[in-house]
Amino acid sequence: MTQDLEEAPPPAQPEALSVPRRSRYSSMRSTLTAYGFMAPVMVLVLGFFIIPGLILATLSFTSLADSNFQEAWEFIGFDNFTRLFGDAFFPKIFRNTLFYTFTTLALFNLGFALVLALVTTHIPRRSGFFFRLVWLLPRLTPSVVYIMMWQRIGAPSPFGIYNQIGPQFLGATGGNLIFGSATGAWIFVILVNGFVGASFGMIIFTSALESIPEDLITAAKVDGASTWQIIKDHKLPLIKWPLLFIATYQTLSLLTSFEFILLLTEGGPGLFTTEVWALTAYKRALKSYFGNSQWGFGASWAVVLVIVSLLLAIVYVKLFKFNELIEEPKIENL
Amino acid sequence: MTTVTEAPSKIDPRNWFSTETREKNGRRFAYLFLVVSITPILIGYSWLLIATFSVRTRGLLPVNAAGDIGGFTLNNWKFLDDVEIWKAMLNSFLIAVAMVIGVGIVSTAAGYALSRMSFVGRKAFLSMTLVLHAFKAEMLLIAIFFVLRWLGTKPLIGDLVGFNTVGGVALVMIALEIPLGVWLMKGFFDNLTWDMERAALIDGASRFRVWWQIMLPQIRPGIAALSLFTFIVGWNAYLVPFTFTIGTKFSNMPVFLNQQISDTAPVNWNLVAAIGMFQMIPLMIFFIFTQELLLNIYAGGSKGGN
Amino acid sequence: MKVKLDKLQKKWGDVVGADDISLEIDDGEFVAFLGPSGCGKTTTLLMVAGIYKPTAGTIDFDGRIVNEVPPRDRHIGMVFQSYALYPHMSVYGNISYPLRIQKINKTEMQERVQRVADMMGIGDLLDRKPGQLSGGQQQRVSLGRALVKEPELLLFDEPLSNLDARLRLTMRGELKRLQKDMGITSIYVTHDQVEAMTMADRIAVMSAGILQAFDKPDDLYDRPKTLFVAGFVGNPPMNFMDVEVTRDNGVFRARSDAVDLVVPADRGEPAAAHGGTVILGLRPEDIAVATAGSAGDGRTASGEALAVEPLGREDLVVVQVGTAELRLLVDTAVGVRVGDNVDLEFNTEKVQFFDPDTEQSLLWS
Repeated sequence: MTQDLEEAPPPAQPEALSVPRRSRYSSMRSTLTAYGFMAPVMVLVLGFFIIPGLILATLSFTSLADSNFQEAWEFIGFDNFTRLFGDAFFPKIFRNTLFYTFTTLALFNLGFALVLALVTTHIPRRSGFFFRLVWLLPRLTPSVVYIMMWQRIGAPSPFGIYNQIGPQFLGATGGNLIFGSATGAWIFVILVNGFVGASFGMIIFTSALESIPEDLITAAKVDGASTWQIIKDHKLPLIKWPLLFIATYQTLSLLTSFEFILLLTEGGPGLFTTEVWALTAYKRALKSYFGNSQWGFGASWAVVLVIVSLLLAIVYVKLFKFNELIEEPKIENL
Repeated sequence: MTTVTEAPSKIDPRNWFSTETREKNGRRFAYLFLVVSITPILIGYSWLLIATFSVRTRGLLPVNAAGDIGGFTLNNWKFLDDVEIWKAMLNSFLIAVAMVIGVGIVSTAAGYALSRMSFVGRKAFLSMTLVLHAFKAEMLLIAIFFVLRWLGTKPLIGDLVGFNTVGGVALVMIALEIPLGVWLMKGFFDNLTWDMERAALIDGASRFRVWWQIMLPQIRPGIAALSLFTFIVGWNAYLVPFTFTIGTKFSNMPVFLNQQISDTAPVNWNLVAAIGMFQMIPLMIFFIFTQELLLNIYAGGSKGGN
Repeated sequence: MKVKLDKLQKKWGDVVGADDISLEIDDGEFVAFLGPSGCGKTTTLLMVAGIYKPTAGTIDFDGRIVNEVPPRDRHIGMVFQSYALYPHMSVYGNISYPLRIQKINKTEMQERVQRVADMMGIGDLLDRKPGQLSGGQQQRVSLGRALVKEPELLLFDEPLSNLDARLRLTMRGELKRLQKDMGITSIYVTHDQVEAMTMADRIAVMSAGILQAFDKPDDLYDRPKTLFVAGFVGNPPMNFMDVEVTRDNGVFRARSDAVDLVVPADRGEPAAAHGGTVILGLRPEDIAVATAGSAGDGRTASGEALAVEPLGREDLVVVQVGTAELRLLVDTAVGVRVGDNVDLEFNTEKVQFFDPDTEQSLLWS
């Protein structure tokens, strides 16, 4: 826009020191208008993020459970946390979480998403469109139905689909692929989450790739670059921002989600084979094992996870300088 | 006399590594790869379809009670006689619609302010949306229970949005979707020119009027895409409705469906498949009519960061 | 409405958009803000409109300071370069928008909109959407929208830049006539000095955020107060040479390595008084190819023709004189060709002199 040449770009917030009284009034009025727009979202954030966060933190220091629900909360200091870190399965859950998050991220949410975007933009547009639509289906399916499909795939003979039509790899002849072994369980957990997770990155990467000017690629081809070289030297660097964004968003997403694992294996088979941190928090607090949901204890698990993901998010934001995406508004006052 | 040179034939060894052949092979490989990748998805859906109409299934084959191939039946669809499923469907619909409206209004209002207005705390809030992105309320479910319970004790709105109400579930779901919604809407607003807004302000419009009458109509595609996406999430929601409702009176379809799958009694998978398929039909219809929108939703982002 | 800007300033952090802008505009006057891209003219206009808030200084409408008044209460209309029409509304919707906000009743609104539309020559396009109109028609809708609220001040931000040359010419005349008929005070931002010269009663020339001069077109052209104004106004631009002016036997002479010119006393005296090197300015139309009869009486020089650009009725010839390249306009019939040695004749009555350090004119203040 020509007007952008005309006006000097406003790089910083206008200063407000030693400004006459009347001017402060009008800028207050315009700030109030802005807050009016922000009010609904602030209320929601306060009520469903900040306050629950504080409640969670408080809960983690209590011994609240199903059994003593009606009584006053009893504060027990750091007992829950001591118990958490001393829990026999704590190391296993911790390892599982790391393994699950970063494997799924690398293989699917980031890796396959990128591959899908690259491949579907390499073939004619209509075809690419079709394949992306199919890959979007898992995201559209209700989780319960989606898990059911996968359970049928891994079910034992004569019901299981894989056992019926697929080559027998895992030694387990016709048994339940999901619950038959730890390896099987993990394969399914990662596949189940990955097939849904990949579509988000796929869409973003695709639109980023499609906005690369055609001339650039033509020039590279004329220079003699092979397809792989074009990807490595031109396409990937040009989609740096979306790549960083997806890496951030999906890491945090995987770290905190557990719905599919809950529905598929409930953390099994056996004891905590596929249990991840987020699932533990949920189960400890809300599912009744041996008759007693332990809210306080569950909260302590959740608190640790929340703190870790919060720190990670802040680190990512600072590291990848997401603040550069912010532009000053070109209308002032009101 | 001119000599006519023959075009090199396709199976000429000199051409095995020509650009043309390589490109063709590249494409073939690409297609092969993609087809293999969608195999599990296609298999899953095929099973769903088959199971819906058969007594039992063995792998992908429909069988009857005795185990012979065949067994086509419409019995599985008898669940439609049960009033519970319709109640659940109504709840699913209410939740989804409430979400579309709620997320829509909150996101477009906040997105506009964050994109086009300057105010104290703007930068901080923008960073916070990014952080909240990944701050799943699913982690805070335990604590949100208390918030809902407290809301339930308030006069007037208590019956609507307390614990174990459709309203409460909708409210939580709206809050869950807000970070992404705000981020997306801000991105769409970022792409609009400033002149139109300035002209409207000079014409005499208040900032609110500008937002409602001038700016929102410009991002209709973005709003449509967000609404569609939100509806789908609301329709499919399982964890939040499950956690915050008791019994089928207030549950939605995914919860209803999961209640059919018990750990102890033998599960009638075909019935479950039918219910699942039933749940997906409205979405499929939406999907077919709005494919372009769904795929473009994330394209309207800001400066390549989204 | 009278408009007064007093020491107006707009800064963003350390970046200065406009500084120390002071001028007074009379009721009904047509003032142009002229300058190259980035000079601060649109920034100043947006401050007058109320879209930007000044960081210092005041804006005054008829004696009332309006710094704190929001745009909607300033009784102004504005026409944008991009027209800024609302694409989702019809032409009628666009033009009537200000009236709808004021909740004017339907009959009166329809009447006013029709009247304005007819005046703009688009009375029959009221049902169309902006996307269905040509650039010129969109421009008229934009103008109609600005006029329908009967503003006291009209602001224009390069409204004709997006139109083709032919249309621009016609619109220029129409706008000027319209403004004169309606008598609305107008501020017109442009980078095109021909537009400014032909349309404005007075022109404010800006550069790098500073107001260089605020004069009538003729004054700017014949009596430029700064080097910038002299070089910016007028196309092809003024020629500049470094010279020394001395008094020789009662005659003032401007000398450089390649010229020795006699200049009139009223102009030469201040230049000589300054002493040292000064900058001499002379417009292309004041340099001619010497004809046979003119003697070398201190008004000539010669050089090689470096370039000849045919302009249709004239040729623009660039001649190397010493270290300077001078531009002059020559009748095509003379037939100068590249490489020719050309004798030049200078109309030194029109010569300008500038201080090389302050860049101010030595003749006018």
